[in-house]
Amino acid sequence: MNYPVWDISMGTGMLMALVAIIHVFVSHFAVGSGLFLLVSEKKAYKDNDTHLLEWLKMHSRFFILISVVYGAVSGVGIWFTIGLISPSATSMLIHTFVWAWATEWVFFFLEITSALLYYYGWDKLTRQTHLWLGWIYFISAFMSMVIINGIVAFMLTAGDWPDTQNFWDGFLNPTYGPSLAIRFVFSLALAGIYAFVTASRIDDPDVKAKIIKWANMWIIPAFILLPFIAMWYIGNVPTAQWESALGAMPTATFYADLIMYAAIVTFVLAVLAWFMARRVSFVYSMVLLLSALATMWSFEYIREAIRKPYVIGRFMYANGLLESPSDTDGGFSVEKIDEKGILNTARWIKYDHITEENKVDVGREIFRVECQSCHTVDHYRGIKNIIGAKKWDRGTIYKMLDGLDLMRNAVMPPFSGKDEEREALADWLAQVTSAPSQKQEVSGDGAQVYNTYCNSCHNYKPHDALFRRLKSWNKEKTMARLDSLPALFNRMPDLELSEKERSTLIDWAKEQFNGEKGK
Amino acid sequence: MESKIIIPAPDPLALPAPYWLFLTLLVLTFLLHIIAMNFMFGSGILAFIAYQKSKSEEVFGRIYESIVKKIPTLMAATITLGVAPLLFLQVLYGQFFYTSSLIIAWPWFFVLIFLVLAYYGFYSVAFSTHKKSNLMGWILIFSVVLVFVIGFIYSNNLTLMETPQQYAVKYHEDPSGMNLNLEDPTLIPRFLHFLLASLAVGGLFIGTIGLYNWEKDNAYAKTILTFGGKWFNYSTMAQFIVGTWFMMSLPRESIRLFMGRDLTGTLSLTIGVIGAAIAIIIMSKALKSDDPRSGFKKAAWLTGLVVALMTVIREIVRESYLKTFYISHNFDVDTQWGILIIFLVSFAGGVWLWIKMLRVYFKETATT
Repeated sequence: MNYPVWDISMGTGMLMALVAIIHVFVSHFAVGSGLFLLVSEKKAYKDNDTHLLEWLKMHSRFFILISVVYGAVSGVGIWFTIGLISPSATSMLIHTFVWAWATEWVFFFLEITSALLYYYGWDKLTRQTHLWLGWIYFISAFMSMVIINGIVAFMLTAGDWPDTQNFWDGFLNPTYGPSLAIRFVFSLALAGIYAFVTASRIDDPDVKAKIIKWANMWIIPAFILLPFIAMWYIGNVPTAQWESALGAMPTATFYADLIMYAAIVTFVLAVLAWFMARRVSFVYSMVLLLSALATMWSFEYIREAIRKPYVIGRFMYANGLLESPSDTDGGFSVEKIDEKGILNTARWIKYDHITEENKVDVGREIFRVECQSCHTVDHYRGIKNIIGAKKWDRGTIYKMLDGLDLMRNAVMPPFSGKDEEREALADWLAQVTSAPSQKQEVSGDGAQVYNTYCNSCHNYKPHDALFRRLKSWNKEKTMARLDSLPALFNRMPDLELSEKERSTLIDWAKEQFNGEKGK
Repeated sequence: MESKIIIPAPDPLALPAPYWLFLTLLVLTFLLHIIAMNFMFGSGILAFIAYQKSKSEEVFGRIYESIVKKIPTLMAATITLGVAPLLFLQVLYGQFFYTSSLIIAWPWFFVLIFLVLAYYGFYSVAFSTHKKSNLMGWILIFSVVLVFVIGFIYSNNLTLMETPQQYAVKYHEDPSGMNLNLEDPTLIPRFLHFLLASLAVGGLFIGTIGLYNWEKDNAYAKTILTFGGKWFNYSTMAQFIVGTWFMMSLPRESIRLFMGRDLTGTLSLTIGVIGAAIAIIIMSKALKSDDPRSGFKKAAWLTGLVVALMTVIREIVRESYLKTFYISHNFDVDTQWGILIIFLVSFAGGVWLWIKMLRVYFKETATT
């Protein structure tokens, strides 16, 4: 609300993912390849292996073209893009970690210089100097990772920082260690995977086989280690947050499944390549590269998704609003916006009061400043489809808006603003989703009632309160209780379920999870 | 509503070091970035001119080859040195910079795409010097044009950043980020000012290739030094016209700063203008002599001083634009001593290691 919102129909989230994840895929390759080139060069000297040496010269050109060009520009690209998409969070991160970034810049500068000198120094420098440059490159690249990892991990698990705002509390946060381990080990695997790309183009099958096997020695052990480090990582993510990846949040759950398939495919392709090293083709190497990209893509996406509703853990919501008020929050905390209203807080909304005529337009503006950081109207996470599929009427939409922070494992920030502003947002949402003016009775069975009204907040799990209670209470008692949902729990919307809806819901719920006991 | 001036609130967190430290680092790192950028962009244009001249004069084919081989490294330096000022700019002027970037979001985002394309273009030309062809000429000019467009988008963003009066109008006109800042009277002269500076400083960079080859191949060295020196002179002369245009396009209040109201500004501009004039005279004399090296070096160092002064002037202009909306001494400061010391030690160690790497590299390659 402090900054304007970049209003594009495709949504900014996908753009961010595209820029960031492809950058990360290259930058991790750049770190792992530092060690890979160094160790490979030493091996070539030790074994007096001219084939390996010749290939390394060729591979280092590929390395320069990918890491120094695309890696460096896309790294700057992340700066550009996060500034456009989450300016408040970017500003907050910069103010907290500017010296970490500045230190990283020093290593980045050394990294780029040593990489170029290493590449241009083949056949011109002594072996000792060439390896010395290789070491400078690798240590600088690794130090970049050591620093940036702290900031990225901080966004997921801010540790004690929201309370102390101490640099080290934020930097050395709970996922710092496992995140660094996972990234470094994956970077070593990527060094091997990228090596496949150039090795697959070698004409001599014996030389090709030798290099493919050497590259594989970086991939296979890394992929054996990664599941254990992943468990360490997951163990440091708060349990409630990790629930998002276990079914509660569609995006996180999808990528939690995908990462397993993609990692297994990558591992299997690498193992198979060991046995057919002479015949590994360029296409095969590209498939391996793509499956590794899918693995990394999923990892980063899960991290971003389980971070929700925050952009900075326990401090700032994805829409830039602050969780807790403070003297210096500029009025952009949820509590203060509830008091003062969106129109009196958001700087870039055209309207300063609501009338009957502008109500729907105001609703659109509210959607832009409160929801559009994650949702679009009809593209990525399109609200038109999400609400449209539920067939909610305008009144239900309005009621549901009060419980956003309970939905999908609490991955959304609460609606903040005055009641009349929630009305305006509901009006606009009703218009774009062509919502019926009156509540219409669900015609199908209990599953349909559940999917229409309950599954936004409840999980299809035996220990979920809905199933636990509906299974244990008798029907008559339950019918009466479901007549007034807020009496059951004051954050539940008063949905005014019809007698038929309540009855089918109870019957259906009782039949679920037979044999499985709720906790 | 539309005419309202809207500026985001500054970040609520305190500055993690005193204001002056950030300002110093901003000016210093920007100076390094702009020199690298001038080398890269100017070299790109001059490489293309050399490419065209090579069709009639063979020696320019060699000059072209020797320039294009260096452009990718200059591009790497430009990008790497650009990260630091971008970082410090966000610390001090975040609420202005993010807003102007958002208003022109699509062109700003496309900078990245243009940059990748230009960079790969320069590399493909650098790696293909042995087969100089029409295609390479086209790729070179295409890359140079992309850098030209990037510079133009930067000028749009940074002029808009300094004029918050435009924010609300432009954003509400098109919140999708398809905007530029073409109405700003300073935009064109400012951009041309940077373009000519790139050509002049790029000329000096090309000339240094002559300095390093003087003993090895005197005739070639003199040709390339003269080529660079002449372009330095032409563009610096043109700068007197464009610079005056740029100056006159500034708001009256800003102009007055350089007419005595601000001592640093007035001195910087006066010394800068006189320094540029003297550099032209020295360079002209040097180019007429048998051994222009000494004069060329003097002109180059003097230009370095002029560029440094212009960087200071630029900061004074920015402050004068934003002074109504921005009070630097209002920042809370809570210095993060631990990490600041780590940065300073890393910075000093990094500079030392960087110099050592280059010395070792050039020492060993000179003997091979």
